[in-house]
Amino acid sequence: MTVSKALNVFDSFDRFVMGKKVREDTWDYVTIPTNAMNMKEKWSISFDDKIIPEDDDLSDRLFHAGLEMLAITGFYNTNLGRVLSVTEDEILEGIKGAPKKIRLGKGNERVSCKSRRGNSSRKPIIQGGPTGAPVSEDIFSPMMQSYARESVVDVLVSGVLNTVGGHPATTNTPWEIKATLAEIRYVREACSMVGRPGMGI
Amino acid sequence: MNMIAGWEQSGDIIMMEQMPIFGGYCGGVEETAICDVATMLASFALFGCDIHLDGPIHIRWGTTTTVETLQIAAHAAAALDLNTDLLLANQYYTLAGPCTEMCLLEIAAQAVTDTASGRELVSGVASSKGVVKDKTTGMEARMMGEAAATAAGMEISEVNKILGSIIGCYKDQYSKPPLGKRFQDCYDVKNIAPTEEYINVYEKALNTLGKCGLNI
Repeated sequence: MTVSKALNVFDSFDRFVMGKKVREDTWDYVTIPTNAMNMKEKWSISFDDKIIPEDDDLSDRLFHAGLEMLAITGFYNTNLGRVLSVTEDEILEGIKGAPKKIRLGKGNERVSCKSRRGNSSRKPIIQGGPTGAPVSEDIFSPMMQSYARESVVDVLVSGVLNTVGGHPATTNTPWEIKATLAEIRYVREACSMVGRPGMGI
Repeated sequence: MNMIAGWEQSGDIIMMEQMPIFGGYCGGVEETAICDVATMLASFALFGCDIHLDGPIHIRWGTTTTVETLQIAAHAAAALDLNTDLLLANQYYTLAGPCTEMCLLEIAAQAVTDTASGRELVSGVASSKGVVKDKTTGMEARMMGEAAATAAGMEISEVNKILGSIIGCYKDQYSKPPLGKRFQDCYDVKNIAPTEEYINVYEKALNTLGKCGLNI
């Protein structure tokens, strides 16, 4: 069925507001496990001992099981306690608009993250960093430099600054904002210190 | 959603993160993979993300490098790779800490898995489950990158054999992983260089990976 347009975040918010009210424990303990089990049975999804599937038919069935799971289940908004409904056609229309390529970084350090197909001989983009792990303020910049100076690393992902000016970066306080901005400055500084100022962060 | 709206209106590149929990509300490996595919599709179709950051995590061990979580990540990525051109990433949470062979082997196993299942970006590494202060270093990212580059283009059947060997080297240590060292204890902080000890550990891991069939 033809859909009028792909959804964006504003359309999705409006759908949440108009969505069906559901208790969070019902969603967690009944809706998700029941629907996931039903999709497993309907699409005959069963993994063997292989880590990576070698059977394209299984991968195809898993895709359709996931697609149908989203369409029959919807998406839960814990703040509103409501469920957004979406059709398979809307999901497929939505993913059509997703980029096949994005560019990260600037100048000499700019890299293209492009769609790979199967195990392409083109390696994935390497994003190095503590990935949200806590890091002391006094070693934050040196630690980020340790990633930036690795030639195999293309772009950076930050850690979490444990304190800012010696003050704990507590969530939902002004210190959190200060710490977040300080993190960005430290990461930029680390890129510059190793001669890669244009690295994507 | 307010933050997504701000990024969307500013024209920013949006990476949306979601980590399905194996053994949680979803259930077993197949059910968790189904929910993983559904949530990845939702990230693009409902919220307009440009690239998705996955991270199937084990409810008992809190890591992404177990057999089950690697299998979920690989199957979900392969399913989307076969049917779409979506940009998919995965993140790394190891049990062992920096400057240990187990940590490097865990990373290599996941990098090989992510690369061979068609992912476009790998992000890490949060060693020591990403919860211990200062237990992350650039050397772990080096292993992630080198293992990914080596695995790119290999036959999947060969990759599965290699993965079986690598995982076999560390899976019996789940309950007592080596804690490893802090950044300031395994790096020369002034010169931003790994210590000789860490270089030796890295070379030992490369040797073990070579015996498993992954010649970096």
